[in-house]
Amino acid sequence: MRRFIVWLLAVSYWPLAFAQSAFEEANSAYADGRYADAATMYQALIDETPDAVVYYNLGNAQFKQGELAQAILNYERALRLRPNYPDAKYNLAFAQSRITDNIPEQDFFLSVWARAIRNNLHERTWLILSISLFLLALVGILLFLLGREPWLRKTAFHIAWVALIFSLTAGLNAGSLHKRDTLRSEAIITQGVVNAKSSPDRSGTDLFTVHEGTKVTIRETLGEWCNIRVGNNEGWIKQQNMERI
Amino acid sequence: MALMGFADDVVFKAQAPGQVIVGRPFQLTYTVNQRSRDFRAPEFTDFDVLSGPYTSTSSSTSFVNGRRTSSFEQTYTFMVMALNAGTFTIGPATVKVDGNQVQSNGVRIQVLPEDQQAQQGASGSSSQTSQSSQTSQSSASGQTSSENLFVRTIASKTKVHEQEALMITYKLYFANVDVAQLTNNTKLPEFTGFLKQEFDQGEIQTELEHYNGRNYRTATLYRTILYPQHSGDIKIDPARFEAVLRVQTQQRVRSIFDDFFGTYTNVTKTLTAPGVTIHVSALPSGKPAGFSGGVGKFTLTPSISQTELQANDAVTIRLDINGAGNMKLLKTPAIDWPEGFEPYDPKVTNNFNASASGVSGTKSIEYLAIPRSAGEYTIPAVKFSYFDIDEKAYKTLSTPEYTIHVKRGANEPSAAGGQQSAVVSYTQKEDIKQLGTDIRYIDTKDLGKSRQQSAVSYQFIWLWYVVPFVLALVILIILRKQIKENADMNRVRYKRANKVAQKRLKAAAAALKANDANTFYAAIETAAWSYLSDRLSIPTADLNKENIASLLRQKGVSDTLISDVMNVLSTAEFARYAPSTDHAMDDLFAATTNLINNLEDQKI
Repeated sequence: MRRFIVWLLAVSYWPLAFAQSAFEEANSAYADGRYADAATMYQALIDETPDAVVYYNLGNAQFKQGELAQAILNYERALRLRPNYPDAKYNLAFAQSRITDNIPEQDFFLSVWARAIRNNLHERTWLILSISLFLLALVGILLFLLGREPWLRKTAFHIAWVALIFSLTAGLNAGSLHKRDTLRSEAIITQGVVNAKSSPDRSGTDLFTVHEGTKVTIRETLGEWCNIRVGNNEGWIKQQNMERI
Repeated sequence: MALMGFADDVVFKAQAPGQVIVGRPFQLTYTVNQRSRDFRAPEFTDFDVLSGPYTSTSSSTSFVNGRRTSSFEQTYTFMVMALNAGTFTIGPATVKVDGNQVQSNGVRIQVLPEDQQAQQGASGSSSQTSQSSQTSQSSASGQTSSENLFVRTIASKTKVHEQEALMITYKLYFANVDVAQLTNNTKLPEFTGFLKQEFDQGEIQTELEHYNGRNYRTATLYRTILYPQHSGDIKIDPARFEAVLRVQTQQRVRSIFDDFFGTYTNVTKTLTAPGVTIHVSALPSGKPAGFSGGVGKFTLTPSISQTELQANDAVTIRLDINGAGNMKLLKTPAIDWPEGFEPYDPKVTNNFNASASGVSGTKSIEYLAIPRSAGEYTIPAVKFSYFDIDEKAYKTLSTPEYTIHVKRGANEPSAAGGQQSAVVSYTQKEDIKQLGTDIRYIDTKDLGKSRQQSAVSYQFIWLWYVVPFVLALVILIILRKQIKENADMNRVRYKRANKVAQKRLKAAAAALKANDANTFYAAIETAAWSYLSDRLSIPTADLNKENIASLLRQKGVSDTLISDVMNVLSTAEFARYAPSTDHAMDDLFAATTNLINNLEDQKI
């Protein structure tokens, strides 16, 4: 019986143990400077189970090989899985400082802050936060409506409206993250230089140029063409010129 | 002796003037540079042999630096006369050298008709006025009239298109005049409105030419190719030349020797070539977009150095424009390089050949560009348009569209590398943040901590909001109802409080009369407590003196009344367990009745 339990444990942990050894092998390849080998192994691990750490390491291996766009793409993917990943954030900023395009932040500073805050937490976390705050707000409302003591009712009222507003914000953040991740509406330019056209065909007028590694927002897809937005510019480029995060 | 070598070096040549005049004898010579025999003359069909062949030989030997060189020449000479005007060929002659038969070249001779003047024996000056020079101001004898010496302006074409080549030739004609030399005092027109293409004039050679019924010796003084630069009638001004003539002096003969040796003086004569007007028509409308300004006939040969290369390697596109026309004015076509290419100024190599027929040759243009990033690029076709002078139409030549595959350069500094001087050259960012020198190291321990989780399902998320909300609503409704019921009950109790109190007081009064102390105190206590409880809506559980006092104070009841209330309550309580005298009971009854009445008045 005991033997059976040991066997069962071994079987259930075997894939994890396998992944761990492959991960360590890839790490040693990276340490030896065999970046191409390391990248291949990390990619194989990701094909099995996507993991923020493996994405981050893959990004590093690609960065060391000079594949800037791929590195940026994988740092972004790592941050999708672990929003608060300081190393990935640092390396992403580092890689982005090496790309050609300098897209100035066109949005209002409040929305920039809002997005930064949103990206700091996982969608699931935002959702749990939203529900918890909503429950708190309900309790506050009940206390306000039914309480007899004036001070209690006053406190409950303030707690309730603050909690309700935060719950709404958290819920909106969760929803916007959900939309971003399910639609995969952000992409990284992988081709060296791409001309964005005014219409989704080759004869369209060239509107502006984007370079490798630039992050764009996909607004619409039409066949093999995508309508993208970079800063204040909007234009059509081919899907093959970029990769969705 | 190298006999064969000798035979190879045999040169057998026929010589005759290029132009002859009918009825005038001329010399036809055949020259061999070896000793020969058995000379066989060709058949003379259009010529009369007046005499010959005369054979003559000459040989010379010379020592130069101890080396002996000898030359030998054997000449057969005929005196021949042409019978008819036209162009005729005298066939080759043969000769035997060391037993081998050697053939000479044939001779082509242009036979000009006889002078009309000579035939008529008249001056015939009326026939040649317009083309010949009018000025003969200089001191010249009667011989040097304008018929005998003039300069013609010959335009190869007088009706041309814009940019179409034409040649202007100034030709000196002279007959019966001895032209010693031409001075440098030449004034050529400005040729305004034309682009002038000079070319090698060559040595001045005289030729015979039949012109206006006379045979002249001619010499080409100056030739140039002109390209008209605008449409309309463009006038070329007259040119001026100066010739030095040898004229026999017309002085009296002093001795027979004078006439024998001849007495000549040099006379300078100014010759004016007439002006000429060129009619230039504009190029037809409908010029193609990429019109190069070329007029003529051209071909285009494009080539590309490589279509597969690494970033930062150079690619060269070469266009060879070959043809004839206004090559010098051809615009260099521009290549529309795609973004990401760093183009350099094209290198143009001209290899032109100017001759009497115009300018021809090759214009080679090399376009160099360096792709700075990897990718697949398309270089659009380069169009070169010109006006075809033969077909009188615009033609467009085009290169193919090149597709260039640029791989990531090996020497492109990897982003991880420390030095990035090459990158800086094309990075146009102004505010690069100095973040450090390298990326952070890989994460080696946190595997599995942040795996991708299944996507959050929003199908039932709303339940998390709706269920607690409904629950809260239910709680609220229930509690509200209860509160309302309580409030109603309190109201009833409030309204009935006095009645109930009076009833209890009546019972107390009855007990007082019966002198039943226990019943009396119980009744009084109940009456007081229940009245306060009903009036102040205090549940029985919370009923105590402190609560009552504080509530009364809240309702604005005076302190004396409150102390009365407290007094009654404590007296009743106290008396119940320690009964006292009768009049105490009477006092308490009165106090309680009084108190309730007072409180009723206060409308608490």
